[in-house]
Amino acid sequence: MLEVIGAKKTFNPGTINETRALQGVHFKLEKSSFVIIIGTNGSGKSTLLNAVAGSFFLDDGQIRIDGKDITRWPEHRRAAYIGRVFQNPFSGTAPNMTIEENLVLAARRGLFRSLLPASRRSLVDALKERVRTLGMGLENRFDNEIGTLSGGQRQALTLLMATWLRPQLLLLDEHTAALDPKSADQVIHLTREVVAREQLTTLMVTHSMWQAAHLGDRLIMVHRGKIVRDYAGATKARLRPDDLLAQFDEVRRTDQLDPTAAEMLRSRYV
Amino acid sequence: MNLLLGSLTIGLILSLLALGVYIAFRIFGMADITADGSLTLGGAVTAVLLLKGTDPVLATLAGCLSGAAAGMLTGILHTRFGIHSLLSGILMMTALYSINLWVMGRSNLPLLSVANLTDAGERLANLMIGPQKTMMLMGWEVTCRDIGILLATFAWVCLTAVLLFFFFKTELGTAMRATGDNPQMIRALGVNTGNMIVLGLALSNGLVALSGALLAQFQGFADVQMGIGMIVWGVASVIIGESLVRTRRLGLAITGAIMGAVLFRLLLAIALRFGLNPNNLKLITAIFVFFALVSPALLDSLRKRWGGTKYA
Ligand SMILES: Nc1ncnc2c1ncn2[C@@H]1O[C@H](COP(=O)(O)OP(=O)(O)OP(=O)(O)O)[C@@H](O)[C@H]1O
Ligand SMILES: [Mg+2]
Repeated sequence: MLEVIGAKKTFNPGTINETRALQGVHFKLEKSSFVIIIGTNGSGKSTLLNAVAGSFFLDDGQIRIDGKDITRWPEHRRAAYIGRVFQNPFSGTAPNMTIEENLVLAARRGLFRSLLPASRRSLVDALKERVRTLGMGLENRFDNEIGTLSGGQRQALTLLMATWLRPQLLLLDEHTAALDPKSADQVIHLTREVVAREQLTTLMVTHSMWQAAHLGDRLIMVHRGKIVRDYAGATKARLRPDDLLAQFDEVRRTDQLDPTAAEMLRSRYV
Repeated sequence: MNLLLGSLTIGLILSLLALGVYIAFRIFGMADITADGSLTLGGAVTAVLLLKGTDPVLATLAGCLSGAAAGMLTGILHTRFGIHSLLSGILMMTALYSINLWVMGRSNLPLLSVANLTDAGERLANLMIGPQKTMMLMGWEVTCRDIGILLATFAWVCLTAVLLFFFFKTELGTAMRATGDNPQMIRALGVNTGNMIVLGLALSNGLVALSGALLAQFQGFADVQMGIGMIVWGVASVIIGESLVRTRRLGLAITGAIMGAVLFRLLLAIALRFGLNPNNLKLITAIFVFFALVSPALLDSLRKRWGGTKYA
């Protein structure tokens, strides 16, 4: 379904701020798999998702969806295949437009936008029906500007918008990180529900060890722009939050080992 | 009375400018100074075509389209070449100054002797009130021609406003508004934001040029200077409109921009009548816009200082 082949990305190359955010990432997603991505701050998780979504182009490597090479496709073209929810609740919605306008915009993700009225009765009714299932009472506030909603309500709507037209791939970048625990639970519940119902191929970044252990059928750990752990199937199902923390420590230990080992080699051979 | 009619008509003509500026300034958050050049361009192209004997409707349409092309170029400079939006507008405005001179061949073209759209206004009046030259309106004697032109302009402005409102409710129009509101979000929904900006600036400057085309015909000449400072004028109208309707909601904001343009023109006419030196006009306009821009923040801070913590 999704193939990332030898993906490399360096920000600000040749300057003092040079950051090698992706250093040869390689993986393949099966259809309908739900993959959790974890890793420390700055390890390159968001960069990986942004590269797949097309926010920038890779320096090297390839990205394929359903066998199609989309490496040089601009972001808006990839949107036909990809639904996204961002970490920042402000990023996924247009604050000065109404709930209804935001939703009908999403109902034409990746499709031609004509000179027909955007809000058509049947579409709005169907959207209202779906919004009702969120249980937030937002179906009665379709005329409110979305900027007046709470972060949790916005993320719930953004998730709905990203999945209204079934995406080939759903990208979730810490989409509950900015929410209070109760709203976060609610959005996670909605995420589980829609991913299961629509059999969505999903990449979800999280810092919550609980979410990492309890959600998804595969787990990838990213460190310094590389994939350092990859668990699937029964191994993934057995993982507990404590195991994950132990893995973090282990990765960090090898990290510290590396510079010393390099030093040792240098003193011996140079 | 005739002065009032004239001011109303010019106010309505300039409300098309205000609508154009509204699109760039409020939908995309850009101060697109191309407007100064495209207003003149609209007037110049229309004037030249009228002098060549082109049908007034076609000449006006051509003026409008030339402005749209200018706006499109500004958009391309900004989105394809990554030049800052303000600088793109300045480049285009500067280039247009020479282009306008080239189109016109000299700095001023009188239009009084050629058939133009104002004659259509006169015909409209004759159709409605009969063939007489003058009529009584609230005790004043006015020419039917002036009334006809005013009504025709009013009708056209209303039609434009309604079309614009419905455009911004279409699939394309909502995508355009979202581009100004949250480009990241609308890109993730599959919209090429660069194209939206190019299209939006074309629409904006098309309206501005239409305003210039009508203005040239109404005042009876096109002048290479006629666009100078018009962006400020448009911004002033939009801001006055917003303070009148007290919302940024689409329908009311559009109505507000039109009301703002007319009101602003009337205020200036009154000020000029009571002895304001026309040379100071642009200075006064700039000072006025300054206060209009800072007054919301100013009012807020005053309220905080003297109004206690009521709003905190
Ligand atoms: N647009 C950019 N320009 C320059 N540097 C960037 C850019 N985006 C990311 N980086 C850098 O790339 C590295 C990886 O960043 P990234 O955002 O992918 O980390 P992350 O794993 O998502 O971290 P977090 O858990 O904090 O979200 C960081 O060092 C970051 O500073
Ligand atoms: Mg991140």
